[in-house]
Amino acid sequence: MWQGIKSLFGGKPSREVAKGRLHLVLAHDRTGLDGGRLQEMRNEIAAVLAKYVPIDAEAVEIQIETRARATQLTVSSAIQPRNA
Amino acid sequence: MGRAIVITSGKGGVGKTTTTANLGTALAQLGYTVVLVDADIGLRNLDVVMGLENRIVYHVVDAIRGKCPVQKALIKDRRLENLWLLPASQTDDKDAVTPDDMRSLVFELKINYDFVLIDCPAGIEQGFKNAIAGADEAIVVATPEVSSIRDADRVVGLLAAADVPARLVVNRISPQLVKRGDMLSQSDVIEILALEMLGAIPLDDQVIATTNKGVPAVLEGKSLAAKEFVRIARVLAGQEVEEKSSVGFFTRIGRALGLTASPA
Repeated sequence: MWQGIKSLFGGKPSREVAKGRLHLVLAHDRTGLDGGRLQEMRNEIAAVLAKYVPIDAEAVEIQIETRARATQLTVSSAIQPRNA
Repeated sequence: MGRAIVITSGKGGVGKTTTTANLGTALAQLGYTVVLVDADIGLRNLDVVMGLENRIVYHVVDAIRGKCPVQKALIKDRRLENLWLLPASQTDDKDAVTPDDMRSLVFELKINYDFVLIDCPAGIEQGFKNAIAGADEAIVVATPEVSSIRDADRVVGLLAAADVPARLVVNRISPQLVKRGDMLSQSDVIEILALEMLGAIPLDDQVIATTNKGVPAVLEGKSLAAKEFVRIARVLAGQEVEEKSSVGFFTRIGRALGLTASPA
């Protein structure tokens, strides 16, 4: 009931928020990568990608997340059409 | 040869000392010989939680420096025949002892006692390294909060690097808050830390009241927290299989319904 009311107002239960925050924080802790280093890595990866495929280097997204004891690094980027 | 178990958490104030006192007392009630070692040198507290603060003559640093035989530094708990406390020193620093000192002290204790429970200080520095040095296994205590779980995760990594197998005790869980969606559940904590779970201690006013009196909750018996401590002690001793092992109740239901992936 209470959860129902909260979700009506668009609020996630704080338990889910805590879980989400922990998955992110632990990924950073476990890899020893802070935000600055991660952005540095993103920029370098974006530069490498741009050498091979047409991309918007600014729009490359990087994320590390952890489930159980496994940590996953995801880099995602849209590739622009060739004749754009 | 006994077993040495370190109780650790990274973060302070999550219930390491209370867990040490209660599990030790419960193991003694089950008939095992138990020594509780306070490894929090400079900030000792296991003595007051056990209600033995007025009986300290020698302490762990005295024993390590050979100022007295180890046996002489042990305080016998008068409530139970087979329970002892080795208090920390209140006037020394953490670097008054080394991991090697602790390893040989704990080894000596293991010869004569079934269980050596080591109450680890907060933090991951020298005091932590000393406390885990002689341990065969670890109990990581965490409360269902972001800060506590984050610190516990650091400790789990350090224990793994030191080859100390660890199991989890979730402390101060409130079923009402979990149900309302305002507290991480025990299965959430297991999922995040990926540790085998020994048990979850409910948030219980009785623990506060008995600790005020210097009596471990399990000696007063009736509370929910006391019952869970006793159950965990049985699991530790191998008298009971883990009821809520690494796979939580909800995960099992999820698996049964096909909502959660089964392990490979």
